[in-house]
Parts: sequence; C-alpha cells; structure tokens
Amino acid sequence: MSEPEDEVKLPARHLDEMTCLLYIDRQLDRARGLEVSAHAADCANCRTLLRALERESRLMTRSMLEEDEPLPSRLAAFQEQARKSMQWIWGLVFGLAATGVYALYEGYVQPWQQKLDEAGFGGSNLLSLMIFQGAFWKGWQSMLTLIEVLALVTVGLFCAAYFRRRIRRGSALALVVAGLCGAFAVPAPVAASELRHADTITIAKSEKIKGDLFVTAGRCRIDGDVDGDVFAFCQAVDVNGHVTGDVIGFAQSIHVSGVVDGNIRVGCNNLTLSGTLGKNVLAFGDSLRIDSDAKAGGSATVFGGTTSIDGTVGRDILSFAGLLSINGAVGGNLKAKGETLAIGPTAKIQGSSEFEGKKAPEVAAEAKLGSPVKFTKTERKPEYRSGHYYVWQVIWGAAFVLFGLVLFVLMPEFSRQATRSAERIGASLGLGVLVGCGLPIAALIACVTVVGLFLGLSTFFLWYASLYFAQIIVGALLGQWLMGRTDELWPRIGRMIVGLLLARLCFLIPHVGGWLKFGVIIWGIGAISLALYRRMQPVVAAGIPPMASPMPPAAPIGGMQPA
Amino acid sequence: MSAPGISEPTEAIAKARAGDPEAWGTLFHDYAPAMFRFCRRALPTREDAEDATMEIFIKLRRNLGQYDSTRSFSAWLYKVAANHCWDILRRRKVRQDKETEDVENVPLEHPDPSALDKMIEERSSDEVRKALEKLGARARMALVMRYYSDMSYDEIADELGVRRQFVGVVLLRARHELRKALEGTAALTAGGRA
Repeated sequence: MSEPEDEVKLPARHLDEMTCLLYIDRQLDRARGLEVSAHAADCANCRTLLRALERESRLMTRSMLEEDEPLPSRLAAFQEQARKSMQWIWGLVFGLAATGVYALYEGYVQPWQQKLDEAGFGGSNLLSLMIFQGAFWKGWQSMLTLIEVLALVTVGLFCAAYFRRRIRRGSALALVVAGLCGAFAVPAPVAASELRHADTITIAKSEKIKGDLFVTAGRCRIDGDVDGDVFAFCQAVDVNGHVTGDVIGFAQSIHVSGVVDGNIRVGCNNLTLSGTLGKNVLAFGDSLRIDSDAKAGGSATVFGGTTSIDGTVGRDILSFAGLLSINGAVGGNLKAKGETLAIGPTAKIQGSSEFEGKKAPEVAAEAKLGSPVKFTKTERKPEYRSGHYYVWQVIWGAAFVLFGLVLFVLMPEFSRQATRSAERIGASLGLGVLVGCGLPIAALIACVTVVGLFLGLSTFFLWYASLYFAQIIVGALLGQWLMGRTDELWPRIGRMIVGLLLARLCFLIPHVGGWLKFGVIIWGIGAISLALYRRMQPVVAAGIPPMASPMPPAAPIGGMQPA
Repeated sequence: MSAPGISEPTEAIAKARAGDPEAWGTLFHDYAPAMFRFCRRALPTREDAEDATMEIFIKLRRNLGQYDSTRSFSAWLYKVAANHCWDILRRRKVRQDKETEDVENVPLEHPDPSALDKMIEERSSDEVRKALEKLGARARMALVMRYYSDMSYDEIADELGVRRQFVGVVLLRARHELRKALEGTAALTAGGRA
C-alpha cells in the first residue's frame, strides 16, 4: 500500500474531497469543522465542491427513496389473506403444465413409440437401439472422436476455471497454456500394443500382430493372427483369423468365424459365433447366436432379446433372454430366466436344467437332457405382502440417508437453497412437472441425433439422479417443518434424515404411497430446478467488480494539502 | 430515520409481540415497501430483493422480542435488513475478492468542483439508480446504508466490518465509482440518441 500523500493529486491549498465529505456528513470535530467553514467562506472553489457533494448526497437519497417499482405480488401475497387469493394461479400453472406434457406425449412420444414398435424395436430394446444401431449414428469411431473432443474441452474448461482466479497477468497465463500444451505433447509411454484408427481396417491373412490390438473403426476385419487380446470399438467386427487372447468389443455386429483361444466379452446388437472359442462367452445384446458348427470350450453367459444356441457349449449356460432356443450340446448345467425357452430335438444337456419364466418351456421329446427341466413360474403378487419388501425398504432408507448425507456435506449451500425453494410448493410443483417430464423427453430427442447422444445420455443420467435427490430435498423440508428452521449444517442433516424417513414411511402405504412418491419427486425436482435457476442468475451487475476487504485508506482524512 | 410517512408503530409492535396476527399484518403492510426498496437498492436482482425482504420479515417476526422499544423501530429494522443483505453479498463475493485488489489500490482523482456540480445537475434519479446497479457490492451497500437508511458511520463500520475511520474512504470511493458509472450511463444515453 502506498503512502496517502502519493495517491491524491490535489491543487495547491484547497480542501481535499475527503475532508469535504466528512464535513457535510458532520464527522469532523468542532475545531476542524470551523476551519473548513472559514476556508470555504473565502474559497469559491472549495465552496463549489462542498455544494456539489451535498447535492450529490441529496440526489442519491432522492433516487433511492423514489418508488419506481410496485411491491412484487409475491410480497403482497405474504399476508395470509392475499396469499389465499393467489392459490388459483398455481393451480392454473400446474394444470397448464400437465396438459402441455400430456399433449407432448400424445402428439410426439406415443406415435414415435408406436413406429418403433412396428419396426421391431420394443421398449425393452430401446437402449440397444440407441447404442448399437448404426441407423442412428455413424459408429464408434465418430463417438470416440466426440468423446475425445469433449474430454479435451472439459479439461480445458477445468484448467480455465482453476487458473482464472489465480492468473491475471498475460505472461503467467501464457506460461500455463504453454505448460498444458507441453503436457499434452509429451509422447505416451510405449507399450507392446498396436492402435489402429480408420474407417475400415483389415488385418490381412498373412499379417501377424504381436501383442494386443486396439481398433476403432467403422468396419474391422481380422483375417490374420493376433498374438494377444483384441479390443474393438467398431460398427462391424469380423474375426476370421486366430486370436490367442480375448476378444473384447462394442459394436453393432460381431461375427467370429475364426479361432479365439481366450474369452469373448462383448456388448453388441448381433453376435454370431461360428468358429472355435477356447474359453467363455459373455455377451450383452439383442440377438446372440452360436451356430451349429461353433464350439465354445467354456461357459456361456448371455443377456439378450433372442438367444439361439445351435453349436456346442462345453460348460454351463446362464441366460437372461426373452427367447432362448437350444438345439446344440451343453456340457454343464442350464439356468435360464426369461419369456420362453425352447429345447429342440437335437439338444443335449448333460447337467441339470432350470427355467424361470411366464410360460412352461417347450421341450422336444427327442432332446437328451441330464434331468427334466425344473420350471418356476414367475408370479406377480403385491410386494408389500412379503417380508423381503420391508427388509429392502430399510436398506433403501439407509442408502437414501447416506446419499443425502453426502449431498448435504458436499453441497451445503445448494442443498440449503433447494430446500428453501421447496417451500414455494406451488412453483416447485409446476416447475417439477415441466422439468421432471420434459427433461427425459428432451434427453431422448437428443439421443436420436448423432451429435446429441453424449449430451442426451448425460442429461438422462442427471435426471435419474435427480429423482433421488428430489426425495432428499423434500425430506429436508418436512424435517424442517417438524423440527423448526435452522441454517447450521448438521442440524439440517438431522432434519433431513427425520423428514426423509417419514416420507419413505408414507410411501409404504398401499395404493396411495406410489402417488405420494410421485408427488414428492415432482415437488423435489421443481425445487432443485428453482434453486439452479436462482444460482444461474447474475450475482453482481456488470461493470465495476465488487470491492475487496479490507479497504485501504487510499485518500487522506483531514487537513488542507500542501502543493 | 424511519420509513417515509410512518410514525413509530409502538402499539402495533406491542400487539405483534403478544402474537396478534392483525398487528403483524399492519407492520408488514407499513414497512414492507420500504424494506423491499432497501433490498432492491442493495442487492443485484429483483428476485434477490424479494427473497431477502421475505426473509427479513421472517427474521423480524422471530426476533421481535429482542427489539428495544426505547430506540427507533425503523433504525432497528434497517439494521436487520442491512445485516441480512450484506450477509448475502459477502457470501457471494468471497470468490470475487481476488479480482478486485487492483481496483482497491487505484488512487482517487481530486474532482473538478464545477464539472462535478454540473454533472450532478444534469443527472436524473433514474440514471442514478441505473448507475447504482453497476457498482460493486461494498460500494452499493455503503451508499444505501448511508443515503437511503441514514445509518451513522459507526453503524456502517459495524455492518461492513471495517474500522470506523475507513467508512469515509469507503463512501468516497463508492461516490467515485458512482460518478464513473454515471459517465458511462450518460455516454450510453448520448449514443442512443445519436
């Protein structure tokens, strides 16, 4: 901090502005005040300054006192009588929002759903449709490019946010940017692996790759040998050669007609195995087929829409498939859960067979089974009649409390604001209907476009998380109503726990509980949205930034200044 | 120091303390506009001011028992309001403090009295309010406390957490900021006319 004398530029032998201000604000002692009066009587310049400052004070007072805005209706509604008369507005908002969402569903979502159903993509296959169908996006290559760009942008934004408040000089900023560029430019450590990235990749029959192979491409064909694992992120993968390790892939279709010594672990729309597999297959997909001339040495674990096993599986089969059809040989046990199980005449199952589903399995008389199929029919009975239901409710309650605890500790200010927003019940419910129903629709629309897939899925996951957060916020408000308001963190957490457990108890009420839960979720989502909206409002008006503390005495107090 | 046109509401306070909702309604009715205006001048957005006014009255209802009836009710009310608004601003501006150090150290130019007098003569209340919105949190808060609610230097020092002898500096710097903002407003107006 520099000396005051250096800071103020004054003409010779006039009153400084600070003295004048203290004089008109009557903050000078009597003797000093008389000195200023005497000087002002003789000095026209200082008299003008005193008058200007006084007029400035009056102008400010007048400007601030003027009633330029009427009292907001929300404040007028603070009085009980007025508040009652305003209730219908929220009812109207709520009704309009619900009508809007219903119209949106009837007009856009339902027709789309019907079209998708007609095209063979039922609701259960929607994830598969979004992630693996090439009709809606170009494939993993473009996806990876998008993820790379997003990752870099995210890193850039983090760096900018982190260094923004620490760096104000251009040279320092340049140093940081140069450092980051240098860090990105450092070559990656050399590994015994090969990375290929192109539209179409073909490993020729004569080609031999030592080590693991990482492939991102539109189409990948492996006719040669890979002495290691294959990691493929492609639209279509064909393995016709020999892979000594595992095949791990995400693709629209994967076809293995060659030899894989290790395992196959894939997530895809169609998997066809017609070659030889040394170990196990684990597959998530819509359609999975093990051809009649295919051999899998280990077990098969499949999660899919339609699974057909015509070849040989050396060990057990564990299946969670809509339709499972077996016409091949199974060396171990069969355990399946799904809609339908069909065991054909050429099937041979050495171990036991268990099936849990809605319909009894269709077993051909010629099929050779180690033991008859043990069938358990899936029955739906009211959940609340079983003891397990209550055990799970306790576990869920504890999980909620833990989740709430973490959120309140990590985001104390935001959770406080969200709880406060929840006090505005009408606004929260209205906004909750819009956001709670509109956000997943928006996410879905984003998902079916190429560019918006990442954004859409992120939005969807955020929305899903908010379903839980919403209950915590409303729980916190209920606790506050029961135990009184507080601004301290731990008492607020205590109130949140009490309110949350109470709300979850109410959710257990048969028939009504579900609706209560729905209402609470809508209410909470609205409160969160309201708090987020408030948070995004400008903090301080543009222009001069706010002052920091403490304020240094940059201008001197008292006395005429020498030239 | 009182809300314009309102004498001390001794009777209403006594009744409100005794839990009379009518008396509480009267107090709210009489003081809410002045409180809202105070918050509107001190806080950045209208929504903030609405929220703050509600919260101040909730606080007031809870703490009415602490009011010393030998003192001015309006003065006490403004003190509560100033405290609340400054709390809000202080919480928000923690992250901005580092950015403002340079502004703090800029030396103040001695004004040309005639030019200053002329500028004040030409400015309207509306322009001053717009300029006020452009000020930093501390500057705006200081001006509002001093020139809206007529708080003393001691009270301002108390609220802002600065030493008493710095209050003059805070106010003077705030005036300089306001003049700068007024010049900007004038330039905009001139540009708009052109």
